[in-house]
Amino acid sequence: MATKPRDDTDMIAGLLLMAAAAFFGWQTTGLEVGTSLRMGPGYFPMLLSGLLFLLGVWVFLKSFGREGEPTGPIAWRGILFILPAPVFFGLTVRGLGFVPALFLTSLIASQASVKMRPLPALVLAVLVTIISTLIFSYGLGLPFRRFGPWLDF
Amino acid sequence: MTLTLTRRILLGSALAFGLAGAAAAEFPDRPVTLVIPFAAGGSTDVVGRIVAERMGQELGQQVIVQNVGGAGGSLGAGQVAKADADGYTILMGTVATHALNPLILKQKPYDPVADFAPVSLLVLVPNVLAVNPQLPANTVQELIDLAKTEPLAYASSGNGTPLHLSGELFKAMAGVDITHIPYKGSGPALTDVLGNQVPIIFDNLPSASGHIASGKLRALGVTTAERAPSFPDVPAIGETLPGYETYSWNALFAPAGTPPEAIAKLHDAAVAAMADPAVAARMGEFSATIVASSPEELAEHVKAEMAKWEPVVKDANVSLD
Amino acid sequence: MDLLSNLGMGFSVASSFANLGFCLIGVLLGTLIGVLPGIGATATIAMLLPITFQLEPVSSLIMLAGIYYGAQYGGSTTAILINMPGESSSAVTAIDGYQMARKGRAGTALATAALGSFFAGSVATFLVAIFAPPLTAIALEFGAAEYFSLMVLGLVMSVALAHGTVPKALAMVVLGLLLGIVGTDVYTGTPRFTLGITQFSDGLNFVALAVGVFGIAEILRNLEDEHERQVMTRNINSLFPNRDELRQIIGPVLRGTGVGSILGILPGGGAILASFASYTIEKKLSKHPEEFGHGAIAGVAGPESANNAGAQTSFIPLLTLGIPANPVMALMIGAMIIQGIVPGPSVVTDQPELFWGIIASMWIGNLMLVVLNLPLIGLWVKLLTVPYFVLFPIIMAMCSIGVYSVNSNVYDLFAVAFFGLLGYVLSKLRFEPAPLLLGFVLGPLLEENLRRAMILSRGDPTTFVTRPISAGLLVLALAVLVLVFLPQIRRRREEVFTESEG
Repeated sequence: MATKPRDDTDMIAGLLLMAAAAFFGWQTTGLEVGTSLRMGPGYFPMLLSGLLFLLGVWVFLKSFGREGEPTGPIAWRGILFILPAPVFFGLTVRGLGFVPALFLTSLIASQASVKMRPLPALVLAVLVTIISTLIFSYGLGLPFRRFGPWLDF
Repeated sequence: MTLTLTRRILLGSALAFGLAGAAAAEFPDRPVTLVIPFAAGGSTDVVGRIVAERMGQELGQQVIVQNVGGAGGSLGAGQVAKADADGYTILMGTVATHALNPLILKQKPYDPVADFAPVSLLVLVPNVLAVNPQLPANTVQELIDLAKTEPLAYASSGNGTPLHLSGELFKAMAGVDITHIPYKGSGPALTDVLGNQVPIIFDNLPSASGHIASGKLRALGVTTAERAPSFPDVPAIGETLPGYETYSWNALFAPAGTPPEAIAKLHDAAVAAMADPAVAARMGEFSATIVASSPEELAEHVKAEMAKWEPVVKDANVSLD
Repeated sequence: MDLLSNLGMGFSVASSFANLGFCLIGVLLGTLIGVLPGIGATATIAMLLPITFQLEPVSSLIMLAGIYYGAQYGGSTTAILINMPGESSSAVTAIDGYQMARKGRAGTALATAALGSFFAGSVATFLVAIFAPPLTAIALEFGAAEYFSLMVLGLVMSVALAHGTVPKALAMVVLGLLLGIVGTDVYTGTPRFTLGITQFSDGLNFVALAVGVFGIAEILRNLEDEHERQVMTRNINSLFPNRDELRQIIGPVLRGTGVGSILGILPGGGAILASFASYTIEKKLSKHPEEFGHGAIAGVAGPESANNAGAQTSFIPLLTLGIPANPVMALMIGAMIIQGIVPGPSVVTDQPELFWGIIASMWIGNLMLVVLNLPLIGLWVKLLTVPYFVLFPIIMAMCSIGVYSVNSNVYDLFAVAFFGLLGYVLSKLRFEPAPLLLGFVLGPLLEENLRRAMILSRGDPTTFVTRPISAGLLVLALAVLVLVFLPQIRRRREEVFTESEG
């Protein structure tokens, strides 16, 4: 199996495209396709899903017969802390309010780097929160509650 | 979905805390948020911002406008329906959020009657039936006759909007078939009618008025029962098709369960704002008729509108998931 | 000709002390807010809109226009410095601008963007002043069939944006088109690909997509191996383009200005194509197309000029028809109505001071922008010397606020995280995000106009070739396909076999 040269990256890429095409195609099944002259909501998506699948096959087939480059390391720590940051902000901005939600969001995001020590992270989060609150809440008067109902007692 | 579930729990606890926290202090002791369920720049947004500024002066607290657009107004309305019932979050409701969407949507995100405490019906805004001047029809009757002999199409700001349904009601009452061409908003629809890509449009009068005044569009009729004061020469469609009447409207709603004192304060501030000559002048330029009703009148109005639109929605077979 | 006297009147209105002040404040605030990551022109204007309500109508619109230019330029700055575009137009700038920044040429890239924008803005302003009414007439000739053909042309050109392999670039365009379909079908109201989430019924948020696949994916790449990889070179070269570089940007700036001015007039989304089209043209004309995607200065100069020229000429449908060409213009209309001005053809005749005052202030605004920003470039470039592990938490906080502020929709924030992951996976698989983004903005327009054209022609597909403008655009698309792609595919084949670098 490993004897023949193969571009692993492109092989995975092709498979991923086919999977995405299958997903969109599956989602299209419930939609009315219509005819070329009177297109329904499903016509265009169906066409595109088919096209994406073919492109996936093309990329997949092209991956054989040549050597690929290594994919390199994966930023697991980044994925673990960067991606949850906006999600956390979204989940808490109404409940906790703008100030605490932003503080915690910055704190979470800062953990994505191994170079960030706890104390500087805390200082950075405090600064970001103060400056953003001054700009967006006081300066521009955006309709965010600074401290949300979860903190009312 | 797990996300929605978490969100619901969070919202639930938010509500519980919020209620516990509602202090006995005089309402309002902090800024009030007015949710506009459409993107900034549209006609509801404009009405909302003009009213919000003046209401803020009356209440002695800023009224902050927050645009929560999406799903034809359902997202913003749904958000206010679930908000703390303390009077600090209110909604600029429209014919779409409180009559059409609840009839059209298969999944109902809120109940327009049970989930809201009416505050005041602010303004009525006429719609207009207008055509490109190249279309050989000068009156509503001529348009109906023309539609019976050749295929025509009309543009609207989107599927399930008040303008689309005004068109459908017109078709039903006139007994003609005109193809509906929906657009994403009034602007692109107007462009295509000005360029004669589509000959006919149902539009809000404020958005079309500049083009009518300059002669780029020929107004055949307004959709209100009476002629609009800003265009006394344009007949009402009802003069040709007796009983035809549609209009858009804007009204303030608070979440159901809001204390009556807060409703009363908001109502008084809204009425005072609408009585301001400067606001009245703006609304006049906008071709909007000021109503400034009581909460009870608004409650009746919502029921009447739903009763009126239900058969139209059914006949036109409009439904959205 | 009374053009001169009209312009004179405009300048006397716009250069009153107060109006100059409002223009300056607008440009300054627009730049400062627009430069925050994840906050594009639309969000900036929506945030700053209430500030302008208290002013006189002319002053208020002058200030808003200033905010608009400032925000546009601020958005390009973020695209260049940290690869985080806030609008579709600056997404193109990010491709080569960010690569220039990584090579220590951030100052040159920013100065090129500023100079190109100023030139394009000045030319386009005069076009607006002289040709506004006849240009409007052309714009009205564009119906559904013409827009469809224009979008086809855009798609054909889009693949040239990528510097990878053709099938992968095509796949990104198609994936973008599919993502663009998410939301409610305009014609039937059927939700498509929304997974039952009402919050996505108006489609996915463009800013969430752009911030995710460009900005966040880049942050993740930079965090892969912090000890080895240096995000920015430490040695930053001179801030301003040297004589040789200036010579290189003249052609792209001129062509970008032309392309942008024409496309900006079309109210149905033509301006979206401006920077993409300019990039494609420059790459085609360049003697070194292989530099594109690795920091080609022409890849910054052309699109930035096109973008800014389009931004000016998109005022034409607004001022002469009262019709918004994009969300920013929709906000301007709202602002006009709040000020008691009914936008439309009557503005020119009824309120000439307003009309010509705004046109004059466009030029003044552009001048202020360049005067203000050239000195600021040093400051922006200094920002890059801030250690990356300090910079990215700030970026994450700002883009969370920015994305949320547009519609207060928390699902937009979830979309940011999703697209960040998607963008990272795609970059690991050596896909490029720019064609994806173009597909995303074109997808809805393409389908909407195709179906509308078919309804209007009552199911007759010949409508696309019997209407002259549409036919012309399709012939052009075919020509591009034949002339551009055949040699390119051949050359790419050779590249693949000779060098392994992707």
